[in-house]
Amino acid sequence: MNGWNGKILEIDLTTQSHKSYPLDMEMARQFIGGRGLGTRLLWDMVGPEVDPLSPENVLIFTNGPLTGTGYQTSNRFSVTTKSPLTGTVLDANSGGFWGMQFKRTGYDVMIVRGKAEKPVWIEIKNGDVTFHDASELWGMRVFALTEKLGQDNNKRNVLCIGPAGENLSRMAAIMNDRERAAARGGPGAVMGSKNLKAIVVEGRERPVIEDKERFKFMLYETRKLLAASPLTSQALPEFGTVVLMNIMNNIGALATRNHQQTQFEGAEAISGEELTEKYLVKNAACWACPIGCTRISKTEKVEGEGPEFESTWAFGAQCGIDDLPAIIEANMLCNDLGLDTISVGSTIACAMELSEKGFMDSDLRFGRADQLAPVIEAIAARKDIGSDLADGSLRLATKYNHPELSMSAKGMEMPAYDPRGLQGQGLLYATSNRGGCHMRGNMVGLEVLGLPKLIDRFQVQGKSSFVILNQNSNAAIDSLVVCKFTNMGVADEYFARVLSAVTGIQYATTDMIKVGERVWNLERLYNNREGFTAKDDTLPPRLLTEAPVDGPSKGWVSNLEPMLKEYYRTRGWDENGVPTQKKLIELGLAELV
Amino acid sequence: MPTVKLYANLRKLAGTKELSITGPTLGAVVNVLVRQNPALDGVVLENGQIRPHVVITVNGHNAVDLDASVTEQDVIAIFPPIAGG
Repeated sequence: MNGWNGKILEIDLTTQSHKSYPLDMEMARQFIGGRGLGTRLLWDMVGPEVDPLSPENVLIFTNGPLTGTGYQTSNRFSVTTKSPLTGTVLDANSGGFWGMQFKRTGYDVMIVRGKAEKPVWIEIKNGDVTFHDASELWGMRVFALTEKLGQDNNKRNVLCIGPAGENLSRMAAIMNDRERAAARGGPGAVMGSKNLKAIVVEGRERPVIEDKERFKFMLYETRKLLAASPLTSQALPEFGTVVLMNIMNNIGALATRNHQQTQFEGAEAISGEELTEKYLVKNAACWACPIGCTRISKTEKVEGEGPEFESTWAFGAQCGIDDLPAIIEANMLCNDLGLDTISVGSTIACAMELSEKGFMDSDLRFGRADQLAPVIEAIAARKDIGSDLADGSLRLATKYNHPELSMSAKGMEMPAYDPRGLQGQGLLYATSNRGGCHMRGNMVGLEVLGLPKLIDRFQVQGKSSFVILNQNSNAAIDSLVVCKFTNMGVADEYFARVLSAVTGIQYATTDMIKVGERVWNLERLYNNREGFTAKDDTLPPRLLTEAPVDGPSKGWVSNLEPMLKEYYRTRGWDENGVPTQKKLIELGLAELV
Repeated sequence: MPTVKLYANLRKLAGTKELSITGPTLGAVVNVLVRQNPALDGVVLENGQIRPHVVITVNGHNAVDLDASVTEQDVIAIFPPIAGG
């Protein structure tokens, strides 16, 4: 079987030793790579007795059979671990160049376990592993460290944590290639708990492709498909992801001031149109990506990548702030400190509401752009008010006796789309295996943008089937691993053909969806084993009981309960949300439980 | 007159963010918009229908029926194909 390198690298930081061994190719066939393979390996390695920030937790870095082949967007990698933010299974993936370079070192998987006695960084050069003392690097920020360790996009790539990871913020990201992030769920804190500052990769190996002629034709065809789609050839390159700001506001589904409203009067001032007109320097792209959705933005103080839609929303509408330069700077500061922008923005918004209502003694207030940077610095340093906020909104709101003011699902802060105006999106957040997240599936395409076809966003009955298909498809794409934006020009069935050409295994479209379903069910089993139950498949009370008083979503709450019942039934789970034996047999997972 | 709001590259093509256009139905308003702004021809409508991936909302609700009546107070928003996340 080609595409995969067929090798796992395992690093023990406690003993500063490493070994390599063959990848179980039957496991690879069933879970492919990325998120799927990472989850399968985590299942065997990290049980419910393991604290996420203890040496017994592992970081599993995975690429996939397409990674580094040159197929469009085949630059991504995944990191799988037990989340210190949620306690659930966590997969976070990231683009840029590091994933491609990691594949070139000759490994499909890198498992990092244990804890170094003193800070270290690891260099992997053509398969050789070297441990370096990182005592003098501890405390360094991401941009300076990335440069110091010799980042060179196509040759040598740096992955690291910033001060937030060192200080074990449960919102800490793992950063790569300076400004790309495996951000959600706190993987940076797991890396910090291991005293691991950075992993630098350099490699020369190229993946072997089974059917080169067929693959070459598919590269050509994919280029044409992406060029023909107005989404991937015009919308994303021209305005980036922030272009969603105005439409979400227009339909009344833009969470505002910690989800107290669903429309923001300052949306236009922080829109993609405004960003493009006043602050865009140029576009940029990840390795082998013809789309180029990345913005390079510039204010009087900073210049760099971003911001994306979710980051702009989190520091903007969610905090009631319409100062776009301040938002750009907050985004870049999070990148430099190694923080997840969605969780940080929403946690600040939660603190603003707690403070305004007198539940918390601080001067944080909605609309105060000047407060963003100092609070973000404090979170990364875990000092002053930052010590309260560093572990996310749920722990913060619980400390001040108002957990209902955390806008999170399973402890992870939700993104911009307000479920009261998007019923399917609410079901998606509530059932997401890593918590409130739009990357496990996204119903905005179907419920707002008509991609591929418009469905009624307020409809409840029948919604679960769309959500499930979306979740399974996303799990499959995350296991290849490619960027989900390719899916806007290239249909699911095409990925099966590319995977077949690269590996020599004949994958049908249904096989791909089955892989996604298998991954989703295994993640669910993992969470069940951790003690999560159907009662955790929920949303903050505000979204279930407080209807917006104006705007296009006026009068609506998330009608979650009937959707959940339908969801469990359609998934082949019992009424308690547990996969049935029949379903597990069908997916080849029965022997695991 | 209903207010028509334009977004993303439609603003550049029409040279404005917002217009007021008279018409009894959504289709009539959009047709006048295109006639007044030839650069939008083939961008918003295709064969008399809303072009695939173009989103039109009336007062924040997705519109699919060009024959639907519109009133003077209505706000019509038109978005070209957009995506993100």
